[in-house]
Amino acid sequence: MGTRGYLAGKILQAFLTLVFVLCFNFFLFRVMPGDPAALLLRGTSAFNPENVEQVREDLGLNESLPKQFLIYMADTAQLNFGESFFLRGKPVNEVVADKIWPTVLLVGTSTIASIVLGLFIGIWGGWRRGTVADYGSLTFTLFVYAMPEFWFGILVLMAFGGGVGPFPSIFPTGGYETPGADLTGFAHAADVLNHMVMPFFVLTVAYLGEYAIIMRNSLTDVMADDFVTTARAKGVREKQVLWRHVVPNALLPTWTLTMLSLGFVFGGAITIEYVFSWPGLGWLTVQAIEAKDFALLQALFLIFSAAVIIANLIADITYMYLDPRVRAA
Amino acid sequence: MRSTWRMVLAFVVGAAIATAGFVQVALAQEETGATGATGGTEEKVTFTWGSTGEPSSLNPMSGYLAVDFYFWTATYHLLIDWDENLGVDKDVDDPGSGLVTEVEMSDDAMSYTYHLKDGIMWSDGQPLTAEDVAYTLNLYKGNHAYLPQNYLTLIDGEVSFDNEANTISFTTREPTGLYSGKVAYMYDYILPKHVFETLEKPKQFENVPNVGSGPFVITEYEVGEFVVMEKNPYWVGPEPAVDELIYRIYKNEDALAEGVKAGEVDFAYFTSANIFDSMATEPNIETMAGTIPSFSEIGFNTGSAYQEADDIFTPHGDGHPALTDVNVRRAIRMAIDSQTLTDRVLGGYGLPGDTIVPPVSVAGARWEPTGEEVIPFDLEAAAQLLEDNGYVDSDGDGVREMPEGSLDPGRPLEFRYYVRSNEQTSVDASQFVKPWLEEIGIQANVEVVTSGRLGDIINEGTYDLFSWGWIPDPDPDSALSWFTCDQRPPDGKTYGNNDSYYCNPEYDAMYAEQRATVDPEARWEIVHEMQRIYYEDAAYAVMWYDPVFSVWRSDRFTGFVVQPQPKGDPLESWGGPSSVWWKIRPVGAGTGTTETRGIPAAAWIGIIAGVVIIAAAIVLGRRRRSTEDEA
Repeated sequence: MGTRGYLAGKILQAFLTLVFVLCFNFFLFRVMPGDPAALLLRGTSAFNPENVEQVREDLGLNESLPKQFLIYMADTAQLNFGESFFLRGKPVNEVVADKIWPTVLLVGTSTIASIVLGLFIGIWGGWRRGTVADYGSLTFTLFVYAMPEFWFGILVLMAFGGGVGPFPSIFPTGGYETPGADLTGFAHAADVLNHMVMPFFVLTVAYLGEYAIIMRNSLTDVMADDFVTTARAKGVREKQVLWRHVVPNALLPTWTLTMLSLGFVFGGAITIEYVFSWPGLGWLTVQAIEAKDFALLQALFLIFSAAVIIANLIADITYMYLDPRVRAA
Repeated sequence: MRSTWRMVLAFVVGAAIATAGFVQVALAQEETGATGATGGTEEKVTFTWGSTGEPSSLNPMSGYLAVDFYFWTATYHLLIDWDENLGVDKDVDDPGSGLVTEVEMSDDAMSYTYHLKDGIMWSDGQPLTAEDVAYTLNLYKGNHAYLPQNYLTLIDGEVSFDNEANTISFTTREPTGLYSGKVAYMYDYILPKHVFETLEKPKQFENVPNVGSGPFVITEYEVGEFVVMEKNPYWVGPEPAVDELIYRIYKNEDALAEGVKAGEVDFAYFTSANIFDSMATEPNIETMAGTIPSFSEIGFNTGSAYQEADDIFTPHGDGHPALTDVNVRRAIRMAIDSQTLTDRVLGGYGLPGDTIVPPVSVAGARWEPTGEEVIPFDLEAAAQLLEDNGYVDSDGDGVREMPEGSLDPGRPLEFRYYVRSNEQTSVDASQFVKPWLEEIGIQANVEVVTSGRLGDIINEGTYDLFSWGWIPDPDPDSALSWFTCDQRPPDGKTYGNNDSYYCNPEYDAMYAEQRATVDPEARWEIVHEMQRIYYEDAAYAVMWYDPVFSVWRSDRFTGFVVQPQPKGDPLESWGGPSSVWWKIRPVGAGTGTTETRGIPAAAWIGIIAGVVIIAAAIVLGRRRRSTEDEA
């Protein structure tokens, strides 16, 4: 199979997976227990059978399941995801669009930062295998990898948000921006950055461990290969052995992980969004699940799935160029 | 040499970026009036309050959660309003009281004419007229607006209006005193006709920005973040001391507590007694544990499978037959110590529960058991009650069995007890209730489920005990209506309010009677009797009345209006427009302004420029080394 065949196969595979997810999403949320109409009203004075029936009608849930499915498929084909249940009729496209940017901004930047830092720590420690630097970096990365990010987030919040003992209260305690401050231009950007500092720091530290560990192990494996010995025997300088021969080969296993991580960026970071009241898609997903907001859930899971599928596809395609053996296979 | 030039170029570019950034910050600050490096707005007094609650909707046609009402109490009028003690606000000269100045009622209590206030304006400069009022009530009725239409079900046909006389008129299907003006029953916020009549789907209208008649109007809502309200320029009442109201939505209470300590939030609501207690010791912070109309209960399946079928009800489910016996339910009620639950589960806050009308209700509505009427916490007496009625432990396994001649002789008193995973107090309470029941010979198997699943289980009638809660209106009509026979889940699939399947024709007759009774005192007598019957029949064991935890920065704002007095909600959440919105004021000059926090914008420019320069230097340095290596 040539390059074209390989590419076509991968794209078809991704497309079929996406279609399967599209159908699966519809049924997945409908088997969850509880009627969304009743959930919306339970515990309030508005909860009575007539209102529950009215809500069902308003939400389009009184139609038969096959008809709901056909409407869903037709609407989704036009990128119309309907109206949110728990946000009382607000278009899903609008709700999701509002939260995508904060999600990508926080989770995207912190993922990239953790990848860069993690890989660097992994290379730094792996290259010095068996030394204090290696043990120190490995201990650190294992610690942050195992650390519950919720717990770490609360500590950072208390230290630099509210201020405890010697730690000054510097950064905002939650949200994406200061409401009512009416800032524009760079002042607004700085305000967003200030809100982002703590969650960005926590996410970066929490995520970098896995990249560092994988990179270190991959690096030490490659270091034992014959071509590395050959390079040294040829008198290639150590730095060049590392950056020209070892790192490019050791990066291959981390490439898939990196691409998948970038695919998961859209899923948000639920725990950190909760700790720092960050208005992201992770929080939105939890709200939608609690309210059984089918319309919103369908859109969110389609986006999450599509992002992972596309990231996977990109990983497959780029792998073809990074590792010629894939093309040859 | 070339690489050296590149390094120099990188530094020049970095410096240029930094300079451009500084200029932009200066311009932005000039544009917005922000002061200082950390931003902040000049002179604008902003009151910020927060909680973890997300509004369900800011449109009164669709919203139904308690948090929604704070936005309506600042922006809309009611027809008949509550005062600070949940009585009728009769001060017609107060621009914040209800719109109705006089009620004309026919002798048969079926025809009503409401005379309305003059001079109230909408925030866009239009006058609020009788036409607006009639339109709103008809809009609620005609569009099945979830909450507000509940209060209009007795009205027959359309509400009419006379703009000249400034009155509205309507008739009712049956005699009723609920619209007589002697109670604040009609919880319907009046909307501007000229805005809502233009909407194709008024119920789905976001209502942001809104046109209101109260001291503030909603100007911005970011889902999951905040709601902003600004002064209504046409408000006819006293000038508020605050320019802007901001509601901030936090996603966890620990962060909210930090926000209060840091001065980002001036007032906050909490549900955690632990956090509330910790806040009480902080400097410049005042706290109040108040009560609101709300209760939490353990409900019993009183016989979904054993009651008689009728036109609307088909027996269904598999509830334990022993719970059809009022003696078993009373014994369970006697084995639940509400005082211990409020002490241990609610941290000593809240009130021990008894009847379905909470202590915070319209004055006179609540009945409290006294003397012999009280079902006391008494494990020995509870066990004796079961013993006397034939429920004995014949096989010595510690669990009693049903007696001969009962629905299922010999069946052990082993009950499914459902609690809700998203309500921690419901789970915590079960840790106390289960061992109490064991002491009287009842085995309770606690199962934790989601609210959604429990809703299904209740409708199916496949439970024995469950834990849930209600937030009734101050007027008891809604709470009493939930337990009439016709409110039972009818067929195992459809929802019904009456989740304990309580059915008592005597109770139903009294419910209709209290609705038709015009004299409040006579009505309260009936309402009291209904509560007594329900309490004695023990279809619910009301565990407690929930507390509301309020915390505020006493060094920043004062002038809160507590409703009900003396310990309730300091932001006066019942009615509208609430006087708290023009009474709260900064404690002193310079307090109450909005400030942004964090690293100054100029420093950010430096940081970013520095990062760019360092990155450029590293890249260039590496290239230089590579070139040298290759050479």
